[in-house]
Amino acid sequence: MRKLMSFKFINGLAASALMASVFACFPVSAAPGDVENGEKIYMKRCVWCHGEEGEGDGPAGDLLVPPPRDFTSGLYKIKTSPFDEDFPNDADIFRMISDGMPGTDMPAWKDILKDEQDRWDLVAYLKAFAELEEEPGKIVDYGTQIATSEESIAKGKEIFHEGDRCSECHGQDGKGDGIKKLKGDSGARTWPRNLTKPWTFRGSNDPRDIFTRISVGIPGTQMPSFANPKSKTMLSIEDRWHVANYVQSLAKTDKVVRAENTVVKANRIEGDVPSDPNDPIWDTAELTTFMTVPQIFEKDRVFKYSNDTITVSAFYNETELAMLLEWDDRTKSIPGDPNIDKIADEEPFEDMISVQLPVKIPEGTQKPYFINGDASNPVNLLSWRSGTVDSKESANAANAMGSENIKERDAASIGLSANSSYKNGTWRVVMKRPLVTSDIENDLQLVEGRFIPIAFANWDGSNSEVGSKHTRTTWYWLLLKPADSARPYIFALIVAGIIFCGLAWWARSAGHEQDQA
Amino acid sequence: MKIPRLLQAVLVLVGVYGGFVLVFDVILEQVIPSSLLNMYMFFVAAGTYMVFTFNEESTEQIVAPIKALVEDPSRKKIRNVVFVVLPLFFGLFTYQQMKPSFEAPLELRTIHPAPPAAVKVFGKRYNLLTLVNPYRKFEKEDPEKFDELVNEGGAVYIKNCQYCHGDKLDGKGPYAQGLNPVPLNFQDVGTIAQLQEAYLFWRISTGGPGLPKEATPWLSAMPVWEDFLTEDEIWKVILFLYDYTGYSPRSWEHE
Repeated sequence: MRKLMSFKFINGLAASALMASVFACFPVSAAPGDVENGEKIYMKRCVWCHGEEGEGDGPAGDLLVPPPRDFTSGLYKIKTSPFDEDFPNDADIFRMISDGMPGTDMPAWKDILKDEQDRWDLVAYLKAFAELEEEPGKIVDYGTQIATSEESIAKGKEIFHEGDRCSECHGQDGKGDGIKKLKGDSGARTWPRNLTKPWTFRGSNDPRDIFTRISVGIPGTQMPSFANPKSKTMLSIEDRWHVANYVQSLAKTDKVVRAENTVVKANRIEGDVPSDPNDPIWDTAELTTFMTVPQIFEKDRVFKYSNDTITVSAFYNETELAMLLEWDDRTKSIPGDPNIDKIADEEPFEDMISVQLPVKIPEGTQKPYFINGDASNPVNLLSWRSGTVDSKESANAANAMGSENIKERDAASIGLSANSSYKNGTWRVVMKRPLVTSDIENDLQLVEGRFIPIAFANWDGSNSEVGSKHTRTTWYWLLLKPADSARPYIFALIVAGIIFCGLAWWARSAGHEQDQA
Repeated sequence: MKIPRLLQAVLVLVGVYGGFVLVFDVILEQVIPSSLLNMYMFFVAAGTYMVFTFNEESTEQIVAPIKALVEDPSRKKIRNVVFVVLPLFFGLFTYQQMKPSFEAPLELRTIHPAPPAAVKVFGKRYNLLTLVNPYRKFEKEDPEKFDELVNEGGAVYIKNCQYCHGDKLDGKGPYAQGLNPVPLNFQDVGTIAQLQEAYLFWRISTGGPGLPKEATPWLSAMPVWEDFLTEDEIWKVILFLYDYTGYSPRSWEHE
């Protein structure tokens, strides 16, 4: 308890959320778990993924990315015991059960296993798989936390890049695109974390959590400890706080999925719409980010996916619409390129992005089926492919009436074009199309001010994604925002005028009546 | 102190509106479509008007202050203020109404549409009124066998359904956030606890595309499970859904 108090003192100014995690590190109330009760809960809740023997081989075991933990090893990725302790503290296991692991299939169980003791019993049962007894009982030395500041972030950035310390795996922009093949202890392929996506941080992106990962490493992966004095890349406590602050700052991005953002808003501009994905005008666009999920709805399904969001913005003028499609992809998949062969597990396909639009803007609520339309409601599919060493990137068009009925079309005759750029783990593709085309029967005619259904699909070629194996969205909206018009102001003035005149007339006539009376 | 009748009427309207917003938007965190709220408020306003103008006397009490405001020379000051504020208010309202909205159109859909009388799947025709889970009887007859069937259903669930409906059957699987409409939460008392097993069989085997129009079959990401699972697997997974959540399916029989 005294230790806890001193901790509180050091962190006297810390936020209450942080205090909660401090308490979690010192489970004063950790009663010894009842293994038998733990087993009962395990067999109902956990066995499906982690398996009867705790080897991570439940029925779903080989479908999940990352794979479920094998408890028989006793190794846990997210732990607070120092790097030279193989095993976690009980509170670490307790925390994973309670809060789950974001970005994985492991949910937070505290809302179902409401009784804390149940979760402690589970901890005891899980430890039994690896015959773990005493916990290390030590935690990482946090020193004095350095609060985040511009200065600290700048220092952290320098350390991050110094000698490619972190950027070697996490990439120049932190997008996890360092070209290195990594493996976890289960033998499965692992990828360095994309540090700009905080919702995928297994143990939260609170600087204290990031500090812990940097200090302890991530057991069972190639993420090393930077507190190990034997390592050339070792960092002082202070430096680790700077790096933690820098990493947290990377996560402050405007490309976050928000449930209320369902509309791609294209702003009207004068002059040409941009065709260059790096045109500075894109910095002024309104961004909308959508989550893409693996295609598990129709045959052939895909479960192991890599890309998970797409950010869209758009501009239009009198004749054309330009959309910027932006997504993080650790690999630039150009089949035939030796660089991609080095990192891809299997023969890579081209990277690809596709925009789906209905051929006719729906008059009522009915839309085409969200995957490639249906027999009575066809869709336009506008896509871009990254190209191979032998062929350049390309814009492609197709019309679909269901996944079994997709007809390729000539993109040039529609006037579709696409230009891309790939930098530090991010694709940016500009797709351009005329607002109206000559083929009214087969092409969507884009109209200002109407809500037009739109959906997206994404293929990571180096993840063996091709055909129906890809990630996608359901229907969202595209809106060509009308330029400001004076009509609302004029009507408002007219209404106000009429009401004023009416009132004045009433008052006047009332006055007359009184005079007469 | 007696509150003037006119003020009473206004307070009723404001109170109902505020209460509605407080209960639904703030407490329940359910955003209520403004069209629905407007319609509701229209009826409340009509009702209030009827109550407050029930007889001549009460009508007089309502109308008098308004008349006085316009006609009574001693209220000139207030009148001038009202004459400026009212037109401004309606002008602003008109502007708000006419200004183009960039909010997504609302899509109303029926979550539990009425099932058809019969469904054709697996090359057979099933009468949903008489269809029962062939494994349900083992719950009483052979509990050990029943547990085994539930376990097999669990394996089907975890390999196919958890991505959207979640490990905890709470509709919050890892892909749930990317889907609209959101996956159903089986832990909620308003879902499987209110349905018969035959209904679930229909929903699972024909999936999103098998929904009637009022339930927007083009939006639902629920796969057509007839394409992936056997009839047996579907009945077992239904056993699992009820067993895991602790609910009992509805049935025609009286319990």
